[in-house]
Amino acid sequence: MIEVEQLRKSYGDLTAVDGVTFTARPGEIFGFLGPNGAGKTTTIGCISGLLTPTAGRVSVMGHDVVRDGRRARQALGVAPQEIALYEELSAIENLAFWGGAQGMRSPLLKERIRKVLEVTGLQDRANEPVKRFSGGMKRRLNFACAIVHAPKVLLLDEPTVGVDPQSRVRLLELVRSEAAGGNCVLYTTHYMEEAETLCDRLAIVDHGKIIASGTMPELRSLVAERDLLRLTGAFRPTAAITALEHIEGIEIIQADESVLMVSLPDGSRKLPAVFAALAAAGAEVRGTSLTQPSLESLFIKLTGKELRE
Amino acid sequence: MRFVWISALKDLAWLRRDPFSTLTWLAIPFCMGLLIHLVFSGGQATPQGRLLIADSDGTVASNVLSGQFTREPLSKMFVVENVTEEQGRARIGRGEASAFLLIPEGLQNDFLLNRPCHVQLFTNPGQTILPKIAVESLSMTVDAGFYLQHVATGPMRDLATTEGVSEEAVSRLAVETVRLGNSLRKYVDPPLIRLETVVVQEKKTNVGVAAFFFPSMIFLALLLMANGLAGEIWTERAAGTLRRLSTTPASLASFLTGRLLTVLLLYAAVSLAGVAVGRWLAGAQVANVATASAWAALSGITFYLALLLVALAASSRRAANVWGNIVVFPFALIGGCFFPFGAMPAWMRNIGKFTPNGWAMLQFQDVLAGSAKAPQLLAAAAGLAAVCALAFLLALRQLRRGFAA
Repeated sequence: MIEVEQLRKSYGDLTAVDGVTFTARPGEIFGFLGPNGAGKTTTIGCISGLLTPTAGRVSVMGHDVVRDGRRARQALGVAPQEIALYEELSAIENLAFWGGAQGMRSPLLKERIRKVLEVTGLQDRANEPVKRFSGGMKRRLNFACAIVHAPKVLLLDEPTVGVDPQSRVRLLELVRSEAAGGNCVLYTTHYMEEAETLCDRLAIVDHGKIIASGTMPELRSLVAERDLLRLTGAFRPTAAITALEHIEGIEIIQADESVLMVSLPDGSRKLPAVFAALAAAGAEVRGTSLTQPSLESLFIKLTGKELRE
Repeated sequence: MRFVWISALKDLAWLRRDPFSTLTWLAIPFCMGLLIHLVFSGGQATPQGRLLIADSDGTVASNVLSGQFTREPLSKMFVVENVTEEQGRARIGRGEASAFLLIPEGLQNDFLLNRPCHVQLFTNPGQTILPKIAVESLSMTVDAGFYLQHVATGPMRDLATTEGVSEEAVSRLAVETVRLGNSLRKYVDPPLIRLETVVVQEKKTNVGVAAFFFPSMIFLALLLMANGLAGEIWTERAAGTLRRLSTTPASLASFLTGRLLTVLLLYAAVSLAGVAVGRWLAGAQVANVATASAWAALSGITFYLALLLVALAASSRRAANVWGNIVVFPFALIGGCFFPFGAMPAWMRNIGKFTPNGWAMLQFQDVLAGSAKAPQLLAAAAGLAAVCALAFLLALRQLRRGFAA
């Protein structure tokens, strides 16, 4: 279980995490969703003991990460964003090292190494140097090193970045099985679809703050049945906003000289009215996309920008 | 404590998996020793040339003349080949030999009858040393023959004019030669002073340039190794393994201690190899192989920790390399690792002796010579250990203060 209360981490004038509060429970996959630079990795750093919080309190399985850091770290398994492995060593040697770092001893360590190699599908390449592995295999081993000591709490920082679809599916299955085994998983990602399908609960972060959190149904309700309409072309923002404000239920999310984004109920029916209003305002529309309510549309509605920006 | 061994085992596995790096470290003293040996000590190989001889006389006298080239020391310099006059002229013309000696028929008779004798030596203008050696050697023999002609004219003429060489003629010549020798002895061999020489103790003097350079090469290898190994901390940082380690219960102190154990082991192997090369290849005096290796290894680990501090203080891997080199090369130059103190100007030597590597190398030289006193050596080792401990604590502080995060 992870409990984070009013966590703040500053570097001089820059505040990377600003008053983050959440709880991730056993058997749950808690998603931490946000664009690059939103504060996800800094939050993970504070939870894992890598960074010392400027303010707030973080505990892992009841152990304060600052005052009782060693015990907190014993309960943690961390798969960092980068592939933090010894490339010259084999998969077994890496697992033995990271298991040893967690205080594991043989024969239990050997048994766990055998098991995690099996579940990650690396048993056939167990004795090969990691430098010969593909990117997906390295990611799987990175994950295996995080779970070799059977931790109660898993911190997975964008574990599927840059992996092939096959390895991605396998990794997501592994994450689900960890949660199904009663472990608490904190999962950061900027892949919207991954968060939607994997996480039980989510927190959307931006500029170091949680701007929305809850289960997927709860978050979807925030965007109700509203569609997201994105138009590209040449606009005069003030004139376009004035023209669109007359359409019932419309909500302007973004308006600049090249992109116009609005949220509106029953979008397909209202498209002709939107085009007519924009034409009257002297706008030139070159591209249109209309998307159904989703986490992405929620994110855009909440932050005014797309997740990958 | 257990993680110290795990960390050391990991580093040893890394060395095993990357044998090229390990062999490179081990090869440094070997290569340097070998190169110096070849350039200075082993490079005194005798040049060898080809001497063509066309002996048309085929007598005792002509054999004496040509035989000098088939006996030491000239036999080490020349490969003698008997040829005909035509072959000899053709081959020396093509530059296929260092020299061609042409002995004409009738040489012995002319010599014994005190008539002018002629031999011809053709030399290869494309070569400088060997033809001159051939000319000088032949001149000396001809000179000796000249003097023999003058002091033993009678007996020699008898030999030449008598039909067949009788035992009486040979005996007469022998008696004349002994008599001549005895009459000359008072001039050439006067035993005026009787000198008795007693060897008190066999003393080894200069055993060669390679041995002279050997301590410098060992310490240069130690410094270069230290620089390379210290920079490896940036590999860990770049890979994110240090950050990952900080999220585990394992301590960075154990991690660093494990690394030190591996480095110490590596230094011990390299030092032992280096000292062995110095002793058995370069011919250096090594009073105690174990003590010399241990001192070199302890010095090496101190250099490693010092350069680790430099690497940890750098802002990037590249900066770490640059700073490492900026520290290593001037210290190596002044501290006697490129050129021995004996080959330095006095002012530089006086400064160099106070550099860490210069000081450590002087102690090493004392150990090699067997002149190091045990209490002094122990005190020096304790000093190095104290420096190591301090550097270790500072390095750990750097790691904890953000390098690993």
